[in-house]
Amino acid sequence: MVKGVPARTTGVITVSGVLRREEMDLVMNPHDSKALQAAHYLRQAVGGKIIAVSMGPEPKIVPIMQDLYEPNQESRYVPRMPIYGVDENIVLSDRRMAGADTLATAYALSAGVKKIIDIHADAVKNLINMVESGASAAEIERKAEELYRENLIPNKIYSTLSTIGDSAVKLFAEGKITREELLNRLHSALEDVYNFIIIAGMKTSDGETGNTGPQTAEGLGELLGKLIPHVAFVRDFEIFPDERIIVASRRVGNLVQRLRIPLPCLLTIHTEYTPKIPPASYQKKAKRNGYRGQVKKVKVWDADYIGADPSRLGFSGSPTIVGPGMEIGKPPVQKIVGESLVFERDVDEFEWRGGKYGPFKKGDLVQNLPEELVMELREKNIIGVFTLKHLLDELFGGVKLVARAV
Amino acid sequence: MSQGQFSGLSLEELSQYKDVWVYVVVDDGKLTKPSLELIAAGRKIADKIQQRVVAVMIGYQLDNAVKEAFEYGADAVLYADEPWLKSYICLPYTRILVEMVKQYKPYAFLFIADELGRDLSPRVAYRLKTGLATDNIDLEVEDYFFGPTRTTYKNTLAQIRPDFATRIAKIYTPRHRPQIASIRPGNFNPLPRQPGRRGEAIRFTPTPADEDFIIQIIEEEKVPKSPIDLENAQVVISLGLGILRDGEGRPRSPREGYELAEKLATILREKYGLRVEIGATRALIYAELKELEGIVTKDRQVGQTGKTVAPEIYIALGISGAVQHRVGMIRSKNIVAVNLDPKAPIFEIAHYAVKDDLYKILPKIIEYLSGGE
Ligand SMILES: Cc1cc2nc3c(=O)[nH]c(=O)nc-3n(C[C@H](O)[C@H](O)[C@H](O)COP(=O)(O)OP(=O)(O)OC[C@H]3O[C@@H](n4cnc5c(N)ncnc54)[C@H](O)[C@@H]3O)c2cc1C
Repeated sequence: MVKGVPARTTGVITVSGVLRREEMDLVMNPHDSKALQAAHYLRQAVGGKIIAVSMGPEPKIVPIMQDLYEPNQESRYVPRMPIYGVDENIVLSDRRMAGADTLATAYALSAGVKKIIDIHADAVKNLINMVESGASAAEIERKAEELYRENLIPNKIYSTLSTIGDSAVKLFAEGKITREELLNRLHSALEDVYNFIIIAGMKTSDGETGNTGPQTAEGLGELLGKLIPHVAFVRDFEIFPDERIIVASRRVGNLVQRLRIPLPCLLTIHTEYTPKIPPASYQKKAKRNGYRGQVKKVKVWDADYIGADPSRLGFSGSPTIVGPGMEIGKPPVQKIVGESLVFERDVDEFEWRGGKYGPFKKGDLVQNLPEELVMELREKNIIGVFTLKHLLDELFGGVKLVARAV
Repeated sequence: MSQGQFSGLSLEELSQYKDVWVYVVVDDGKLTKPSLELIAAGRKIADKIQQRVVAVMIGYQLDNAVKEAFEYGADAVLYADEPWLKSYICLPYTRILVEMVKQYKPYAFLFIADELGRDLSPRVAYRLKTGLATDNIDLEVEDYFFGPTRTTYKNTLAQIRPDFATRIAKIYTPRHRPQIASIRPGNFNPLPRQPGRRGEAIRFTPTPADEDFIIQIIEEEKVPKSPIDLENAQVVISLGLGILRDGEGRPRSPREGYELAEKLATILREKYGLRVEIGATRALIYAELKELEGIVTKDRQVGQTGKTVAPEIYIALGISGAVQHRVGMIRSKNIVAVNLDPKAPIFEIAHYAVKDDLYKILPKIIEYLSGGE
């Protein structure tokens, strides 16, 4: 899952006051690059494919997603990363999704992810139905090739790669495995579809909530009718493909927890994460579990297509409302070294030209006094310019006495 | 029942939700400091709506923590105390909290905005289909007028959080309950302890479910505490990118700026007996300067993505005062800002303004404070 965020929220070092032109654009949330690196590690370790999903206004999100195909190239939208790009990109874009808080956002994302899972499951089920209903090897092969071209079934089911001569459908066509064995392998591929891993950044640079990851796990669980566990702020993890588990470390309080999480699951990745390099022995299997390759066109899906309930989207599906922003208040009094005037000593209440003034305490700021009175008091050294010494005496003078008394 | 096209509860249903809940965390049998702060935050709201503060805890061997919660201001404690709940895992904790909420219907539910709170509260909020406002620095109670349905929601929680575009934003969850919010540590003072203060202890006994064990803990290890204790310092001297150049625009080694600050810190520690720490802006830390490697590290960062501090004295040296920095130090009792730029935003919140070169000012401060009189 990736998010487009206003570029100005991503600048780590500001050159005070200077706005870059492109700062109004949306760019990829900087925390998401760790998520992409984690996804890249997983693809190397177990195969499968990386599908990037984002919700946001299509014209602003598509350029980001486009650049995710080649993150090792210079880009205005995505930080450069030494990894292969994602395989597919999906943008959830719909006016009804606008104004969403994290609950409504997570709902839309989980509906989008559910759709992705359904499409892949349907592709495999389609083949299963054909095999079960006795379709000929040629028919099955034709369908498998079509699905393979659409990037919907893994190499181990069908592939035109020369390195994979033993895809299930081919073996069946060549009479090397039985119809029953083909069915077994298809069912296992169907299971794989549900052994997904969702990776998210630990938070975004604009909203900064960190809610979306865990909430999407919860939302997807609801849609699938099966709890999807999540672990947030993962600093380090490894996948064990045979056991279908992930072992991840994260901090809670003053503890580091090492956790064992079965697939499917959702992880959010801490900025301190560095990807591991999977063992070379995983490679062959990963290739077989891989897909044809990149689908270079960004897909845009709306609420109807993903089957989302419009009442749960956008502003109307959002429990929280952002009120108007406010300035952080100024301090009641400010003393400026070299500028402000302050009383040099305590002064009792006094009369001056018919008006009453005071009492004042040593250090009080001179405010709203007639100019002539100020001049008079200055001449008598009752008030003076606030200096660094004044400042230090005010802050530490009292402390010093206390320290001496001890 | 929904309000037209908007999700949420009816006014009648809303009124059934009482009490302010705070999710507190126990470490070595004691409540953590942010937990005590959270009780104080809950107290502020509960007093305004004349309800109770209920400390909610899940874990194992909680007797002492339950006692502490009363002494630090909770009116009731709702707790699940079971061996299989000893360590935090999202699924069982979510399940139990959701069951508790459904049974008792709290008005608000506060969490600490730390790793645990951020892992747990989103899930709880989603399952309850209610709102979650994260990272708040303050809370108020207000009447909220919701324009689209022309409805006034009385006594709504105003959840106040830093916002990048405006400065501070108020988030409301008027139509849903509980109103869930996370509070950044360091923004409330724990209430004074009242030994012997007691309240109603309600034990909740959940039965374990299969889902509770989907995620398993392989091991847990304590992380060594950072020696830098910004939160408990009386004086924080913070450095920004201003240490890279002096008033004449000549480049200075950032090490020089750091050492001046350290010298001042030493005097304040040794002569004045104060707890002093050196903080920094994110910009300075992320600049990854060779001269500051291993010295100005991430655990010194003050601000939205770092620590929140509220010392007696906060000295900002060469810091522009971006809102993300300000939210981490605005509660300091005395803010001293040293900055060349008279228009720097830090001066908007400084009690003491020194519009000058830090490389000129710091040596003067050091001389004056070390000289005694
Ligand atoms: C999502 C997000 C989260 C963030 N979180 C944090 C956070 O937690 N903490 C944080 O600090 N920042 C955070 N930032 C960064 C923040 O926006 C600012 O970029 C940063 O605080 C600026 O640091 P600075 O004041 O050191 O640098 P600058 O903004 O570059 O300011 C340097 C100041 O030094 C002054 N100066 C220069 N030379 C001298 C001299 N010789 N003497 C005196 N003054 C001098 C200049 O006038 C200037 O005002 C975050 C940003 C984002 C987008």
